[in-house]
Amino acid sequence: MTTSFDWKLPRGTLIHGKWKQNRYRVERLLGEGANGKVFLVERQRTWYAMKISSDAVDLQSEVNVLQSIAKQRQAGRHEAYLIDVDDFRNSDGVDYPFYVMRYIRGMTLFDYLAKQGMDWFPVVGYSLLVKLAQLHSEQWTFGDLKVENVLVGDYGRAELVDYGGVTGFGKSVRQFTEIYDRGYWNAGSRTADAKYDLFSFAVLCIQIHESRRLAALTASLLPQNRAPEELLKLARVNPVLRTMEDWLSKALRGEFAHTQEAAKSWQQWQHKHSRHAPSAPVPRWMKGLFVASAALLATTIYWLLRAGL
Amino acid sequence: MKQILLITDGCSNVGVSPVVAAAQAFAEGITVNVVGVLDQGDLGEFGSAEIEEIARAGGGLSRLAHTRQLSQTVQMLTRKTVVQTIQQAVHRELKQVLGTSSIEGLPPEKRSEVVRVIDELGETTKLKVALLIDASASMKPKMQAVEEAIRDLSLSLQARQGRSEIAVFHFPGSAHGDDCMMDLNWTADVRGVTQFLPRLQMRGTTPTGPALMHVVDFFRTPSQFLGNNNDETDGMMSDYVV
Ligand SMILES: Nc1ncnc2c1ncn2[C@@H]1O[C@H](COP(=O)(O)OP(=O)(O)O)[C@@H](O)[C@H]1O
Repeated sequence: MTTSFDWKLPRGTLIHGKWKQNRYRVERLLGEGANGKVFLVERQRTWYAMKISSDAVDLQSEVNVLQSIAKQRQAGRHEAYLIDVDDFRNSDGVDYPFYVMRYIRGMTLFDYLAKQGMDWFPVVGYSLLVKLAQLHSEQWTFGDLKVENVLVGDYGRAELVDYGGVTGFGKSVRQFTEIYDRGYWNAGSRTADAKYDLFSFAVLCIQIHESRRLAALTASLLPQNRAPEELLKLARVNPVLRTMEDWLSKALRGEFAHTQEAAKSWQQWQHKHSRHAPSAPVPRWMKGLFVASAALLATTIYWLLRAGL
Repeated sequence: MKQILLITDGCSNVGVSPVVAAAQAFAEGITVNVVGVLDQGDLGEFGSAEIEEIARAGGGLSRLAHTRQLSQTVQMLTRKTVVQTIQQAVHRELKQVLGTSSIEGLPPEKRSEVVRVIDELGETTKLKVALLIDASASMKPKMQAVEEAIRDLSLSLQARQGRSEIAVFHFPGSAHGDDCMMDLNWTADVRGVTQFLPRLQMRGTTPTGPALMHVVDFFRTPSQFLGNNNDETDGMMSDYVV
């Protein structure tokens, strides 16, 4: 089981699928994670995102989830996400498995809010809740919900990336990140359900507004003292989070019956918030330090074959 | 599926070699993983060479970890070993059933099917993990982190669909001549169990090898292991693939 692969695919590299013979041209690296690298590629004048991994089982496992979701969504209302699955032979003589997905033109959540302003936070949040509600209605938990895995397109349209953590309801969450994990906060199990994601969503809200204090809190709390109440205490010191304390409390304590209810309650908060709250300025730390602080905080734990530490 | 996870910070110094004991464990179908836990500094060249060799002899994996990353490391090793054990079984079957020994060599549809089975087994296979904790003097300040890592592991295992149990041992034991003592018998849930590891150091020796043998014995004792003839992973692929 190999873990990382260090090679680069220079711009213009042609990738020729071994089984289906499709050809792609590499434009640039989009990002990389523990499971592989994602490249922007082009085929017949269309942009796609291609994920390449050195671990066939690992990648296939993710593809299986995407295929199951695709089957459920066959109705056609949705634009296909998974486009192609194949292997290619790299110049080092080794075959690497890859899959091709829809390219999501967007910024990371942090970048988006830093650039467009915190006014967009409620809209982006709602859009994300709708995405989650869809997944939950199909009996899947996203699992590894965190700022890094949310891309935001025009007008605050949120999209989830990295389906490596997506887990069928009732199974153990395949991949999670400690500070977003309900088990880490002594607030419940690691069995996949809709409430698991809503918990992470609440932490994500806190992370966006109070990244530093959240980092300080996790560093200072003894394991046995981690609790939703600690997160809520932190939320009360922030002018925006304070207005949504009820919502956060329900999400952190698993009190929303389902995700539609959480979305509806979010709308009500948005409605009140838009009338009363002055528009919040972008926190100063966000304008530059955010990437570093987010990266520092995030330690991902992988179920199954996730590449080692 | 049976695993031993040894958590230590130094070298064994009495009794049978831990490498020999780990090899015996593996021969009996138990995989041995080792975490070398650091506070400050390192284990020393000799210590890290030893943990690597114990894991190799035990068919498992070894990692060095700071106390802060102990939870993640313990989980990662346990999970990786579950999958590896399943993959080894699957590879054997692939050879018999499909005439190829690598998943990479399979065409996409077959690969998808095989990986689905691997994932399913990883989630549902029964699992027993015995944690063996070095409780010699130098480990004392690390005990809280070790206990926390064990709780965290138990939480993750509880979420699995397959029955998962842990047992906890430490060494050296309290009475003279005791290589090893049991702190927790097989349990699926450690919530509510407070401070199960000793905070007092008893003796200065580190009988890692004898303690490992003791845990292997514990796996073997029929009364502790009621009718669980454990190799669920073998023979399952043919049902799925053919
Ligand atoms: N479909 C996509 N469109 C655009 N960018 C993407 C897409 N998928 C992934 N990325 C980028 O690549 C990065 C790494 O992808 P990810 O799937 O998270 O990899 P890993 O699972 O290895 O962490 C993401 O953070 C994102 O920035």
